[in-house]
Amino acid sequence: MNTPRLHIRGVGAVSPAGWSAPAMLEAVAAGVPLPAVPCARPGDRTWPCETRLVPAAPPEKVTRHPRLRRASAITRYSVAAAREALTDAGYDPAAPPPGLGMIFVMMNGCVNYTGRFYNEVLQNPAQASPLIFPETVFNAPASHIASFLGIDGAVSTLVGSSNIIMEALDAASFWISSGLVKECLILAAEECDWLSAEALTYYHPRLISSEGAGALLVSAEGPGPQIRSVIGPLGYLSWRERAGALRQMAAQSRAQIQGQATLITDLTGIRRLDSVETAAWEGGPWSAMLSPKQILGESMGTSSALHLVLGALSARSTQQPAVVSMPGTNTAAYACVVEP
Amino acid sequence: MPSPTSQCISITGAGIVSPLGIGWQENEQSMAADRTAFRPVDLFDTTGFIAKTAGLVDLPQENLFHRMPAHKLPFIDRGTRMMLMAIQEALRQSGRESMEGIDAMVIGTSAGAMPLGEAYFENARQDNGRVPSQLSRVEHYQPQRQMSSIAAEYDWRGPVIIVSNACASGANAIGWAADMIRSGRARRVLAGGYDALARLVFAGFDSLHALAPSGIPRPFDAQRDGLALGEGAAVMLLEAEEVRQSPALGNVSGYATATDLHHLTQPDPEGKAAIRTMTAACAQAGVSPAQIGYINSHGTGTPFNDVAEASAISAWAGDAVAGIPVSSTKSAMGHLLGGAGAVEAVICLMALQGQWLPGSLNVREVDPAVRFDLVRQFRRSALDYALTNSFGFGGTNATLVLQRRSA
Repeated sequence: MNTPRLHIRGVGAVSPAGWSAPAMLEAVAAGVPLPAVPCARPGDRTWPCETRLVPAAPPEKVTRHPRLRRASAITRYSVAAAREALTDAGYDPAAPPPGLGMIFVMMNGCVNYTGRFYNEVLQNPAQASPLIFPETVFNAPASHIASFLGIDGAVSTLVGSSNIIMEALDAASFWISSGLVKECLILAAEECDWLSAEALTYYHPRLISSEGAGALLVSAEGPGPQIRSVIGPLGYLSWRERAGALRQMAAQSRAQIQGQATLITDLTGIRRLDSVETAAWEGGPWSAMLSPKQILGESMGTSSALHLVLGALSARSTQQPAVVSMPGTNTAAYACVVEP
Repeated sequence: MPSPTSQCISITGAGIVSPLGIGWQENEQSMAADRTAFRPVDLFDTTGFIAKTAGLVDLPQENLFHRMPAHKLPFIDRGTRMMLMAIQEALRQSGRESMEGIDAMVIGTSAGAMPLGEAYFENARQDNGRVPSQLSRVEHYQPQRQMSSIAAEYDWRGPVIIVSNACASGANAIGWAADMIRSGRARRVLAGGYDALARLVFAGFDSLHALAPSGIPRPFDAQRDGLALGEGAAVMLLEAEEVRQSPALGNVSGYATATDLHHLTQPDPEGKAAIRTMTAACAQAGVSPAQIGYINSHGTGTPFNDVAEASAISAWAGDAVAGIPVSSTKSAMGHLLGGAGAVEAVICLMALQGQWLPGSLNVREVDPAVRFDLVRQFRRSALDYALTNSFGFGGTNATLVLQRRSA
């Protein structure tokens, strides 16, 4: 991938650490895993399954809009993150800049409504709710946010591995350079539910599900940290190939760094899942290493967005580059360098 | 005439799997015979649903995935199999045996491998313990994993980009791929879309009362009462002209996308976003409405969609509207959701190559909103440009303009 010529003008985040990007940075920097709670499911569960949830929204983060009345948690998190990113860039979220585009990325999607609707279908299809079904569609959150922000131009939703956001940034760069949009909001969000929390435990029993949203407002010009180098996609078809891709990703990333940098890893704190990535990054010129998943949990499609938000915040505050590791789970590995 | 603003994006191969047949030839024969493909759904129990029929694909029984371990084959769903067949045809058409040299796959889907998700849910709900094979269901349910199963058949490791803009997904994927080539980020991209019929999705459209109770969709009929669902897949191999190695079947000349903010599931009655996408796609292609020789409409057969689209076509085409042939192939095969835009783009390509127009079938009395030339049965026609519209839940509108190429 060519490196997209993008500045990160504003960031926003909703995570188990709270309803702002600084709250997330503070929690991740503190290095103490946030409390996890047992994930409730219909009936009893015969094995442990925990989750880290986003706390209740503070009143100032609750957005009122006709399209948000029935909207999923994903949408509510995304709206808050988008508003924060716009504010961070100096815009009034109530009057977003003209020529704004939006790309929404996710891996799991609106699973609460999907599970609820399908449960109704299994019980009695004739009584399945027509109000719920539209909210199960992958691009429902993007539609609601576009309506809320008044974006009637280019809006798209990508579904993929946790690092699909890098393809969104690549496309945003083209949208901006071709004049299709002036700036682009990149959003990623996921919501917890018992189905996906249990699904993660099939990958490893100690993997803790999480939720939230990350937002990046990107443009061709500053101010704001710049995405300078993109490594990848380094494709793989198996876990064995993934290991090779991770080693290549780390080596190529290091070659982009002069002096010290902050490393944002994808490490979960589970040795069996982390060993290859740990070895790949070992001995690098890292002034600090942040591992958000160990603190926040596994938020799937949101995780790389949160990592990029942390990379941007770190680059801003330290005036050092940040290397963001995004190994992904089943298609390709990516990394990128965010310069102050 | 407007000047084109896009470079030439060549289509060197195309594959199609639809309820009308597997492959270009079967689909062309079905359309030439004005055949419809609706029959009772036998993939799941339709008790309790208003609608009982859909356009179903007759998939071959044999295993299509030769490199995949046998224990993984049960997790390959219908949609993945349809997409593999479409890719095989597209590669064959472009004279390729492998995916070597292809820079990316950009694929649209709305539901991915939903039947695997349904099975995961049902197993989890029925059993409080850890259920065997749930990990495989979770893994293969993910659309990018479906496509990487296909990539593994070709030992290919390029980027997989899944566009999910509901019913516009397939058209957006082709447009996204064309943009990648146009910007120099790729030279050769496989682009298309797919969706297989799934119980949850069928139930969703049924709950919205969007499905025609009769099972027969009648797009642009004054008494139309809803759509029929279908399933299928289609893909195009798009190449930058400077790297093209095989004859071009056509060009992607124009693409535009816009967002209709009117409502989550209902279009703006005037189709304002559709007017913008048709205008912008034609501007990029450098053609005027009068030069469009065929429009494959979104044409679902629902009361709201068809009147909004008819209104938009009239406003966009102006005085030229009466001379523009329009049809909806959903009348014959149903609405293929995430696959619709790609399948209908390939139908446009077939029409350009064969110099024919597919019909909008089952129309009894034309809706008064229709001012264009509604093609009510298959006909021969000379055409150089075809336009296809796709409008999705959530308001994503997409228009593609394809251009005829002589080999």
